[in-house]
Amino acid sequence: MRSRRVIQLALRSAAVGYVVCLILLPLSALGREALVAGPGRFVEDVTQPQALAALTLTLETALITTVIHAVLGTISAVVLVRYEFPGKWFLNALVDLPFAIPTLVAGLMIAAIYGPTGVLGAWLQDRGLAILYEKPGIVLAMLFVTMPFTIRALQPVLIELEREPEEAAFTLGASPWTTFWTVTVPSVLPGLLTGVFLTFVRALGEFGAIVIVAGNIPMKTQVASVYVYGEIESYNPRGATSVSIAILAVSFLALVLLERLTRPPGERMPALLRPRGRAPMTVAS
Amino acid sequence: MKGRISLSRIAGRVSVGLLLLLLPAVPISAEDARELILAAYSVPKEAYERKIIPAFQRYWKQRTGQTVRVRSSYGASGAQARAILGGFEADVAALSLESDLDQIAKAGAISHDWRKGPHGGVITTSVVAFGTRKGNPKGIATWEDLARPGVEVLYPNPKTSGGAMWDIVAIYGAGLKLWAQQVGPGRSADGAAAEAYAAGLLKRIQRNVKVMDKSGRESVTTFERGIGDVIVTYENELLPRVWSGRPYEIIVPSETLLIENPVAVVDRHVDRHKVRDVAEAFVAFLHSDEAQAAFAELGFRPVNQAATVRARGAFPRPANLFTIADLGGWDAVRARLFGPQGLWTKTVEELARDG
Repeated sequence: MRSRRVIQLALRSAAVGYVVCLILLPLSALGREALVAGPGRFVEDVTQPQALAALTLTLETALITTVIHAVLGTISAVVLVRYEFPGKWFLNALVDLPFAIPTLVAGLMIAAIYGPTGVLGAWLQDRGLAILYEKPGIVLAMLFVTMPFTIRALQPVLIELEREPEEAAFTLGASPWTTFWTVTVPSVLPGLLTGVFLTFVRALGEFGAIVIVAGNIPMKTQVASVYVYGEIESYNPRGATSVSIAILAVSFLALVLLERLTRPPGERMPALLRPRGRAPMTVAS
Repeated sequence: MKGRISLSRIAGRVSVGLLLLLLPAVPISAEDARELILAAYSVPKEAYERKIIPAFQRYWKQRTGQTVRVRSSYGASGAQARAILGGFEADVAALSLESDLDQIAKAGAISHDWRKGPHGGVITTSVVAFGTRKGNPKGIATWEDLARPGVEVLYPNPKTSGGAMWDIVAIYGAGLKLWAQQVGPGRSADGAAAEAYAAGLLKRIQRNVKVMDKSGRESVTTFERGIGDVIVTYENELLPRVWSGRPYEIIVPSETLLIENPVAVVDRHVDRHKVRDVAEAFVAFLHSDEAQAAFAELGFRPVNQAATVRARGAFPRPANLFTIADLGGWDAVRARLFGPQGLWTKTVEELARDG
């Protein structure tokens, strides 16, 4: 009995130590630098016109990315779970690819396709549509690197989902579309929210792909991470730290919000993380 | 007695074995082998690796009988400076920007005045030039041509690229020169009006900038991907590419900035490693005809005139070449152009407001 408790304690401290060493320590170093600089300096750094513009652009493009993935990612997940078609396994495998390739390479791939020498890019340019080096290019890069989140968060929930409520709605006269949005989507909401929030916070911090694909012109096409890089390179670590903390704060708030949204009252863990089978699915009545 | 013998025999065998293990790493005894750590910015890498370092090793062997091993590291100039500030124990720093050396000097690692060296501590020079598409279809010749509507211009971001700082300073300085020409000789130019003209030129050119890459190299890659009509960059970045048959034209505007790349011995590290003699000889060697010719082959303008002649053709000298010193030195220029209230910073903000 005693040895079991020792093992429990050891495991627990290992887990805590792991998280503390890998995440909390670097985080606290950043926090310390900010505290040394003081809150006045922080506000001053973050409200520099270039910094503010970079933060706004980052939030804007990350939100657009999130909305696109929330809609198209949900539809893709449903298709991948519910329908059988030739090549489905291949499509399913492709979804994870953005995690497997360096984001810098992802940027190069996008640039090669949408650049003026690329097939698609040349075609678009003839029609006066600028993707690369403009805002849509940034969104494209964000979409690429965050591709798996929504789909992968939804798939297991969709597989587990019981079909009866949908069938009931359908037989009661609801159109497939209405059934999908009023029955299916609310039932998988915790999974969807997890995917959506992770997409958002991951998009906020993206650097590698964007730096290749965006024009990086301050106050026009420069995102926060690229701004931070520029400040580090020009011997302004304080400005870099302040803007980093601003991004970090938004991410943190988003994750706290996610935790609150996906945790039913009285539960200790978010619904998604609870052991399968016990999870009560809320069905819109 | 017997035990003692076998013990010493074992010790002997072990030490022979250890020596054998060490042999590949240290070919000669420690007194004859010297080691020099070079931190350089990446553009002249080929000149160092293929020509200059082997030549210096031969030279030093001949002079002293010692073998020098040069451990060299190449990277962006600013990154190298930051690495040295962060504890990278380089003996010699060969960077692209004076201000990067000054950062190391400010931290106390370089304690001598490196500007007192031969050629003012500068080992290579170049000029800010334009690269255009084959045949120069947009007819680019002067800075004003870069400001024309419909001309797409590339240069990197001055926050991340020393090269871009040279480019933007060149625009500003050229603006001052062009204004002086418009006013005409004899009349002393009105400082505020010249300043306003230079600021206007910078704004009109910056408006045409489509992409600002992290570095000069990346900017060239973007240009090769088919973006932009003109790239503003170092002449030495364009020359080797044209020599190797890439379809560009190089245009050196008559008003342009002389780019100077400095080198310095890092006092703190050479004293710690006891290699001051080697490091100082290496820096002196960089000014030799042989080293200068190697730089010239990469498209740099040598500081040593004898080497210029040996280089591929003479470099055309722009009519109105100016230097950073003419504009008041890097500290002044950096504050005036790139500080929080600097001209370039304000220009970018104004352009964003104008939409």
